[in-house]
Amino acid sequence: MRERFLTGYNDFVLPFVFGMLFVLTYCLIGMIRLIMQLPAKDRKRFFLSLITPKILFKDIKDIFLKCLIHVDLWKRNKLLGYMHSSIAFGWFMIILVGHIEVFLYTSNLGIKALYYPIFFRYFVAETESTMKGSLIFFLMDFFLLVILSGIALAIIKRVRSRFFGMRRTTNPSFLDLVGLYSLWAIFPLRLLAESFTADISGGSFLTKSLNYVFTEFLSNHANMLPAWWAYSCALGIFFCVLPFTRYMHIPTEILLIPLRNAGIRIVNARKGLAKAQVYSCPSCGLCIDACPMGVMKSNIKDTTVYLNRQIRRNNEARIEEISDKCLLCAKCTAICPVGVEGDKLRIAQRSMRRYNFGPDYSNIDTSVLSEQCNKFVTNQNKNVSLTDSKRVLYFSGCMTALTPAIRKATESLLGKAGIEYEIMDRDGGICCGRPMFMAGRFDQAEQMVRKNTEIILGSGADTLLLSCPICYKIFREQYELPGITIIHHTELFGDLVSSGRLKVRKDDTKYVFHDPCELGRGCGIYEQPRQALSAAGDLVEAAKNRKESICCGGSLGSLTLSFEKRKAMTENALTNLTAASPDTIVTACPLCLNTFGRYADRPVEDIAQVLDRKTN
Amino acid sequence: MKENIVIIGGGIAGLEAAGQLLGLGYKPIIIEKSDRLGGHVADWNCLFPDMTPAKDVVGRLIAGATEANIFLNTEISFVNKLKDSYNIMLSNGISIITKIILVTTGFSVFDASKKEEYGYGVYDQVITNRDLEHWFNTGNDRRIDDCGMNAVGFVHCVGSRDEKAKNPQCSKVCCITAVKQAIELKQKFPETMVYCFYMDLRMFGKKYEDFYIGAQRDYGIRFIRGRVSEVSENIDGRVIVKAEDTLSGKPVKVTLDLLVLMAGMVCNPDSTKVANMISLPIDSDGFLKSRDNVADIIDSPKDGIFYAGACTGPKTVPETLAEARAAALKIHLYNKTMQ
Repeated sequence: MRERFLTGYNDFVLPFVFGMLFVLTYCLIGMIRLIMQLPAKDRKRFFLSLITPKILFKDIKDIFLKCLIHVDLWKRNKLLGYMHSSIAFGWFMIILVGHIEVFLYTSNLGIKALYYPIFFRYFVAETESTMKGSLIFFLMDFFLLVILSGIALAIIKRVRSRFFGMRRTTNPSFLDLVGLYSLWAIFPLRLLAESFTADISGGSFLTKSLNYVFTEFLSNHANMLPAWWAYSCALGIFFCVLPFTRYMHIPTEILLIPLRNAGIRIVNARKGLAKAQVYSCPSCGLCIDACPMGVMKSNIKDTTVYLNRQIRRNNEARIEEISDKCLLCAKCTAICPVGVEGDKLRIAQRSMRRYNFGPDYSNIDTSVLSEQCNKFVTNQNKNVSLTDSKRVLYFSGCMTALTPAIRKATESLLGKAGIEYEIMDRDGGICCGRPMFMAGRFDQAEQMVRKNTEIILGSGADTLLLSCPICYKIFREQYELPGITIIHHTELFGDLVSSGRLKVRKDDTKYVFHDPCELGRGCGIYEQPRQALSAAGDLVEAAKNRKESICCGGSLGSLTLSFEKRKAMTENALTNLTAASPDTIVTACPLCLNTFGRYADRPVEDIAQVLDRKTN
Repeated sequence: MKENIVIIGGGIAGLEAAGQLLGLGYKPIIIEKSDRLGGHVADWNCLFPDMTPAKDVVGRLIAGATEANIFLNTEISFVNKLKDSYNIMLSNGISIITKIILVTTGFSVFDASKKEEYGYGVYDQVITNRDLEHWFNTGNDRRIDDCGMNAVGFVHCVGSRDEKAKNPQCSKVCCITAVKQAIELKQKFPETMVYCFYMDLRMFGKKYEDFYIGAQRDYGIRFIRGRVSEVSENIDGRVIVKAEDTLSGKPVKVTLDLLVLMAGMVCNPDSTKVANMISLPIDSDGFLKSRDNVADIIDSPKDGIFYAGACTGPKTVPETLAEARAAALKIHLYNKTMQ
């Protein structure tokens, strides 16, 4: 390669250089601000993680796999995965190979380093020795082709999203469209520009062939400059609008991954990690199809992708509306390819609201409640030989109080298995705190957590049993109960059935298990209830299950969703559950039971009821 | 007169309308699904506010309708719409061609087990208003202890005015029924404490208010304003009821030997079935939709099809009977205009 121009400069590089400098400065300042917003403890943790080899290695691996290859998208949807990884990885490779090429063939780069790797082919001419670099020519053309195929898919997706298995996608904002069209323009323009110079600076199967085929037009060097200008302008426009479009997710995700790997959690809804998540949202719209509220068209704009957009626009009224409406089923979090935690963002947002007054639970006298639970400590002394070391304290919770059949069945099963237990809230109890936590009222939740902790620690139990996943989640996450195992009744029954302590009669009833949000996505319990149910009958699966299970619509998470509007969601969830036409719908959450029971066309039961009926 | 008139449902509305039509010289046909006439009222013991025996009322109505063509144990298989009439195919194989149909399909009692928090079907000592009437009639219910109940509770509005139970409407008659049943229990067991948990008492009818005041003054029945929050069972099988007394602002907790749930009225699924066969609209409350809810409550939006009684919404016995008579007259006038 030899340089064609003595100056190594042409005015057309200016739009690109300006755009690139702008976007780099913007991202750098943004990154520093974001890191400064982190609480001091988290910031220290983040810096420490960057010098811990294990985490650093994971950061690099994750950035490569997620940002460039988009493995999560591949797993979900191959076509969508190919589209994204072809553009991201292809572009990355072009930049990488471009730099290698420049550093191999030029010396004394200086300021030219800013734009040479991008416009190299304009400034150089092929020489005899360049043939050694034909591999590089080939690679550049190959990755350009890869990107172009991705762009072609992107255009098809914009016109027909159903082709990609997506029912609905986002409505792009005006600037998103500017970004989108400039991004689409960049690579065809690059192909055109490089085709012009292919007979001077060399090229491979794509550029060179194009140059030969359209030799009339492309060999006319008078046409060359406009093409290079257009290419540079497209790049410049894309970079200039990037911070204000969804494409901001490209640089932000590179920051989000190390933050997440450092184990940082959302504290403020607008700062630090939350901000990184919001800007990492690529507006892909996967959460729209996932959202249980999506069954009603009027709710589409209340999905996480729109929450992120409104947070970026500081549209306070809408942010609040969206945050309060959500059921907090966390399905958007489960399927998000970049790891935006829609539920936690909303809870953090709710916690920003200031109330003039709030209930005070710190004065509740726990002595009466503690006394009830203590009973079994004295029992235990008398019947030591009867028990198998397990002293189970059963907290049935408020929701189970509304579905007494679950409590009755659970008690009966405990008796059948010969487990000594005591009920913590037989005669009234204190809420677990999860509803207050979901409403963002952490102080009140904390008060209840403290009260319940007092009671539990004073009871002498070694196992806390819960039949409500809503309670279960907060007990697992917010309570500190040293020496006490916290289990959900599905886990206990799963173990008792598989160890043979509960003998279940099997018949040919077809059961489908509904994964309650708080138990499945919330606590990761999927297997035990299925194990226990398969012992009782024929287990079939819902169309969407486990991580993608659909919220029953009764969730306590939503602060504003009216009863009427939840009906459509419940009906949709029921259609999903009955896809394999089961005889009975089984769930493990009193709230799901209650909600489904209202609209289901077949029996809905808690797993405890099913097992209790089929054991002796 | 030759014109066929089909009455769907042999409850009190159907019987009264048939009696009136017979008086006007028609020969109506009553189609009844069950094996006896009288509907829900036939299951009841006494009717408020004068404690009239339900047996007498139903007996009189049946006596007045004996001349009609009555098909018991018969359902409608399907209905074909002809040019200006309907061809009704019955489950016993008979088909009837008619221009006039009177729908008197009535209501269903709300399934109290759907309000699981009240424990019907879960706890032994929880029964419904209907179970209690059955016991008044037969004296046969193992859950009711003849000698010595300390306390009994009534829960008003079970499945009425309850969005979560899919029933936002007021069932109208349960308030007064609870007062009536409470008095009857108290008459049988004077020593028993009787509590009524209500959210509103709607004493709209003739002499209802007197009845209610009498229940408090003469029988010492305790009325507690507040919905029951939770029902549980103690070791000896009695039920513990927790509620809030919203007048004193305090939580209350009572242990009862028997809890009676005042299950409300919901649209009879058979009404919906019939409505689907003749393509009649359903109103937003789930009951059949009248042409006009003020002036034409007994007219359906279709010519020749009329309603009477609780198929269009919860009604008391006198209201139902009045509608049945009005419907008979309306049918008579309609028939005259056809000729």
